[in-house]
Formats: sequence, structure tokens, C-alpha cells
Amino acid sequence: MQRDFRNSALLIVGHGSTVNPDSSAPNLAHAADIRRRRLFAEVACCFWKEEPSMRDALLFFRDSSIREVYVVPNFISEGYFTQTVIPRELELSGRTTERATGQAWHYCGPVGSHPMMTELLLQRAVEVAPGVPEKETSLLIVGHGTNLNDNSAVAAKREVEAIRRLDRYAAVLNVYMEEAPLVSDWAKLAQTANVVIVPFFVSDGLHSYEDIPVLLGIDVGPGGSATDRKNAGEVFRQNPYHLCGRNLYYASSLGTDPRFAEIIVEQAEAFDRHRTLPMESVTESLVA
Amino acid sequence: MRRPDASVDWLEVLPCCIGEIRIMHRAAGSFTVSHRDDTGLEGLAVYRDADAAIELARYDDAGRYRSLKTAPNLRHGWLFVLDRLEQAREVIEHFYPGRAAAYQTWRSGELRTTPLRETLGRQTGMYRASAKISERQADELVGTFCRSDGGCLRTILWKRDAAGASPSTLLPKVKFDPEFDQTGRDEAARPLLCQEACNLLVAAARNVVKGGQ
Repeated sequence: MQRDFRNSALLIVGHGSTVNPDSSAPNLAHAADIRRRRLFAEVACCFWKEEPSMRDALLFFRDSSIREVYVVPNFISEGYFTQTVIPRELELSGRTTERATGQAWHYCGPVGSHPMMTELLLQRAVEVAPGVPEKETSLLIVGHGTNLNDNSAVAAKREVEAIRRLDRYAAVLNVYMEEAPLVSDWAKLAQTANVVIVPFFVSDGLHSYEDIPVLLGIDVGPGGSATDRKNAGEVFRQNPYHLCGRNLYYASSLGTDPRFAEIIVEQAEAFDRHRTLPMESVTESLVA
Repeated sequence: MRRPDASVDWLEVLPCCIGEIRIMHRAAGSFTVSHRDDTGLEGLAVYRDADAAIELARYDDAGRYRSLKTAPNLRHGWLFVLDRLEQAREVIEHFYPGRAAAYQTWRSGELRTTPLRETLGRQTGMYRASAKISERQADELVGTFCRSDGGCLRTILWKRDAAGASPSTLLPKVKFDPEFDQTGRDEAARPLLCQEACNLLVAAARNVVKGGQ
């Protein structure tokens, strides 16, 4: 049964971008979706690189009837942003921070750590390649993979292992943009006739519109698809691509899935279920 | 949407200007929101859904992405016709995210401002270097980056340091005056208040330190 959040607010925290107009779009769409459901007294977004900033969000939710604020990072993984930047900018001192007004701000786990991620990745894979036999298909989950303090590679590995255990696809593999195994080696890594590629990111942008397609060998045209607003999403609508003797199906970033809104709400509910546990145990129980 | 205390409501008196936007009361109880330059123009694209402002706020007249919503480059040619004042609030929130809360907090006398040095000093990771910006560089950067004619329409309330130094000697005094219409139109306007340097300014400070653009 869904918890009653009518005296609570929801704050969705995103990265945002100063160059990519599509970075914040999923956050705003998920917020609008949750707002329409009237689950919370207020629903707001804030960003690291866009407005409103996290510092601006400190001024939100001034209605005295709002006793609790649930802060949900729309990030794929625990890492630098969830552990350093967000707590610092939002002045969070722990799992729950009580403000001078008595309002409690609860810091929830990032959306990417929710167990439903596995199901969403599978659904996205089926939707992008409808009717394609899974046993003759390799599923490749794309992570960023950098040496930043970012555990996105860990999150992607966790999901690949979870999907592999289901034994639905001929192969389930991790690939990364900036570390091995590289996206560009997809044809060597995947042995099947069909290959499905799903970027495990919270929004579309240069990576999903252009960088990954180029690494896959998809012809994005002169200047790339990302430079042309109207054609930015066209790369997801040309499936299958016939490359290296395979049928390649390329999906948009997972975070554009409207079902992410449900996961954001779930993360607030999960906070309440694990209220009494220390932060580390909660993170572990969410990813178990 | 929050229902603000009437005494700190920036839409308490209409017509009202906020940044480049004009909000007006129409006959039959409806409200309009438009670009101040477009007041009274015919042939504007009419919107009735407040969420349409999200996309309008995203690009300037030339179709370029607006990374700073309070920059003086709001696109033209649109008109919101709305049944309720709450919808007008939503439109303004999309055009100027977070500014209503800053205004309301300021009017309540509870707005805390953060000196630039403190904002830069708490940065980590790639932005840690921004704290190394010199006084002269900071003076020049803020004077250029935050100027109302071509930079940002916010009214700066923060100081450069804890001692209360001016953010920039290159900016006119009215840049720090909430009573001043930062668009230069000299109309009564509600201010877009800046209580703390934004991430774009922090990033620009880092670039200065790193010798970039």
C-alpha cells in the first residue's frame, strides 16, 4: 500500500547541463508526472548545473504544513555527486537532517540503486527489439566508465549480473565508453546475430545521440545527430542497423523511461521502510 | 504549488513585471503572461498549458540553448492565457526557476546570502581550483559575467567576502538594488534575486584560474 505523503514534499536532484538541453528534461517530466498524481504536497526539481540550483532548493517548501522533505537523487549510482556534492550543497548532515523550522529532510538512495532497474533494462531491451528471439540475442548495457569517483560502472555490472542470472539472453555484457570492455568492440564481444544496446544513463545527450552511435559504427551524418535538434532522437528510430553482419538495435537512455517516476516515488517509500537502519545498510539492502 | 503568504507574494499587484516577463490581469478573470517586448502585439503564439513554458525557456530567439534562465535573452513571440493565478506562478517558475522562493524568503526577512569567497571555498573536485581566483580577477569576472546588459538580470545580494566587499567595482550600484528594473526599462519590476553565486559563475572562475575562456 502506498504511503501517505500529503504532508511531505519531494525534491528530485539532477545533474543538469550548461550545453545539453535534454539533460534536465527527464527530471522535469518525472516531476510533472508525480505532481499530477498528487501524492506529495509539493514536488520540485533542482540541479547541479542548471536552475533551480540545490542552493535555491534550500528556500523551497516553506509551507508550515510540510513536515518532511524526501530528497531523491536522479543518478545512476552512489558516488561523488551523491556522497559529496549533494549533501554539501543541500546542507545534509546525515540520512535525516532537521532544519531550524523542525522540517526533516530525508536523503534517499539514488534511482539507479533501485531493484526495479533490472526490470526496466529488460523492458527497454524488449521494446527496442520486439519479437527478436532473446536466446539469439546479446544484450549490452552501456555505462560511462571513468576514473572519477563514480560507481556507475559498479551499478552497470550489478545489473548485468542480475539479468544474466535470469538466463533469458544468449549473452549479457557490460560495455563502457571510456574503459574496457569498450563499446567500440561490440562486434568482437557479442557472438550472436542480434545485438541490443541499452545506455544505462539518466538522460539522453551527446553520449547517447552521438558518441555511442559513432563508437558502434552507426553513420550519424556530417556533424553528428546531436548538432541537429530535430534529428537528435532519430538515431533511436532507425532500428535495426545492419552492421558487421549483425542486426543491431540501439535504445535511448534508460532514464527517459516514464517508469522512472515510479522509481523516484519508490525511493521515498524505501527510505521509510529502512528508516531505522544506518545509511550503509540501506544502500546494501536496496542493491541486494 | 505553494500558496505564499499574501504579504510576500510577488504577484500581489497586477500588472507586474518580473525579469523580461509581464503578467497582466484580463477581463473575465483570466491572466496573461508575455515577454515585456511583446506587450500588445498581435499574432503571438497562444499557450494555455503552463508546462509549455519549459520548452520556451530552453531556447533563445535564434534557437540556442539558454544555459542561464535569468540571462536577458528570453525568446519572443508567445502569450500565455491562463484561468488561474496559480498557473501564472507555474509559468514564471518555468521561466525563472527558484526565483519566487528567493523573493518570498527575502520579503520575509529570512534570506541568507553567501559571500562569493565562501561559495568558491567549499567547492571540491574539478571546481576546487575556482577558489584560487585573485581579487582582481574576481572583480573583472563578476563585472563581466553578471552584468545586466548581456549577462544576467538578477539583482546581486551576496558580497565578495565575509568583510562585505562589493562583488565587483565594475558593476553599477543599481545592480545590487532590488528596487531597480535590471532590464533598463525603468518600470516597476519584481527583482530576480541572487543570494549566492551560481554554478556557472563558479565554473567561469575555475576557467579564469586555469587560464581558459
